[in-house]
Amino acid sequence: MDEAALIRAAQGGDTAAFEQLVRAYDQSVLRLALNLLRSPEDANDIYQETFLRVYKNLNSFRFDCSFHTWLYRITTNLCLDYLRKRKVRREEPTVLATADGPLDRMDMVPESRAHGDPQRSLLSKELKGRIEKILGELTPRERLVFEMRHYQGMRLRAIGDVLGTSEEAAKNCLFRATQKLRSALGDFL
Amino acid sequence: MICDEARRSIPLIHYGEIAFDDEEAVHEHLALCAGCRSEFEREHALHRALDERDLDVSPFLLRRSRDLLASAIEAERAHSSARRGWLQGLRALDLRIGFPSFTRPIGAVALIALGFFGARLLPLSSAIGMQAGLLDPSISRVRFVEPGTKGNVQLVVDETRQRVISGRLDDSRIRTLLLSAAMDPSDPGLRVESVEILKNRTESGDVRSALVYALENDTNAGVRLKALEGLKPYASQADVRKALSHVLLADENPGLRAQAIDLLTQNSNQELVVGVLQESMHKEGNGYIRLRCEKALRAMNASVETY
Repeated sequence: MDEAALIRAAQGGDTAAFEQLVRAYDQSVLRLALNLLRSPEDANDIYQETFLRVYKNLNSFRFDCSFHTWLYRITTNLCLDYLRKRKVRREEPTVLATADGPLDRMDMVPESRAHGDPQRSLLSKELKGRIEKILGELTPRERLVFEMRHYQGMRLRAIGDVLGTSEEAAKNCLFRATQKLRSALGDFL
Repeated sequence: MICDEARRSIPLIHYGEIAFDDEEAVHEHLALCAGCRSEFEREHALHRALDERDLDVSPFLLRRSRDLLASAIEAERAHSSARRGWLQGLRALDLRIGFPSFTRPIGAVALIALGFFGARLLPLSSAIGMQAGLLDPSISRVRFVEPGTKGNVQLVVDETRQRVISGRLDDSRIRTLLLSAAMDPSDPGLRVESVEILKNRTESGDVRSALVYALENDTNAGVRLKALEGLKPYASQADVRKALSHVLLADENPGLRAQAIDLLTQNSNQELVVGVLQESMHKEGNGYIRLRCEKALRAMNASVETY
């Protein structure tokens, strides 16, 4: 069954079709939220809220844009709200105090690439910390555009569609984000 | 092309977001300008560094999110069908009778009055009859209908009846039900609760076996954690040690792997544990767990590496 047929079936109340739609996109939604929010709990909250909204509003989807764009609009709006709120409230520490010393919660999440060289690992850890700090200082929109382009591999035009803006505006956002990263990571690069 | 234009295009080249001719022009400029070439290299290094921080979604997180979503959607469906049922009933009534809209308030008042006087005037026995009859929640579906004599009708219905059973854990029937609930694949919450109760009865061999099974096989980390808690006093037993080794080497949850290290090292024959810890060091992707293994191996004066 193609995607349009799946959507129509789900709109008609076919739960198996809805589940298939979720499974087609849920990993990338979860990955986007996890990379953006750096917390499995927050990423799960975004996941739940996104797909519940999709479920409740699927009948209002009129095929004016792709399902992917519509879904990502919901996800990115939720992520933007989350990031904006996070800017105002105190950040939750990612490092926990344990009996065996400090433990970074993000160490509990598997990384795509692992390497064994301890010196490189130390440098990489320091660099990672610096990158997290700078990413945290980007505006929510810069952060989102950067995330979608760099980690999700989305084209700038698609990002513009998702965010309801032009490709040019998305391009400027990406440029500002990479500029900030490059200048702040000066001595590492 | 001037440096400013070239530098603005550098990130776009890395993301493949630039027209072919423009990219050519930037590369021509880079061949001549050392400053911009260095900027290009720095952008390249930035991409490499950023790629290092990409997080993968763990299968556990994905499964947990899917399970929670399934429950939330189920609840939403039940809620909306209940709401729709009432609304559709009222709409159908309205359509069938076809009252003009100005009579609706009068209809509403009439319905309230009917309810009020109906409750007062109807004999109590008929209300009881309704409750005990078709509204019985244990009747899920009518399967067969047959007209009987003297105006009676015979119905064959499916019943799903719940009943409360209470008893002590040493009652074998209660324990059997709990053991079966602890393995119910459809409800992780039920499994967590059942294992939570069973873990206080580990002196019984069948309970211990169920906990070992849950520790090694349950898809839910909460259930595995409860099972591990229950098995703590038996960490030196061969079957439990084998399950703990399995957790350390194969469980996707780092918290469980960390606890497995503690239990394996505190009770077991150290010679047997060394190999498991070394193997874990070899394949473990999580820095914290590797560190814990290394610490444990050093405490045992064992080699950290396998040769």
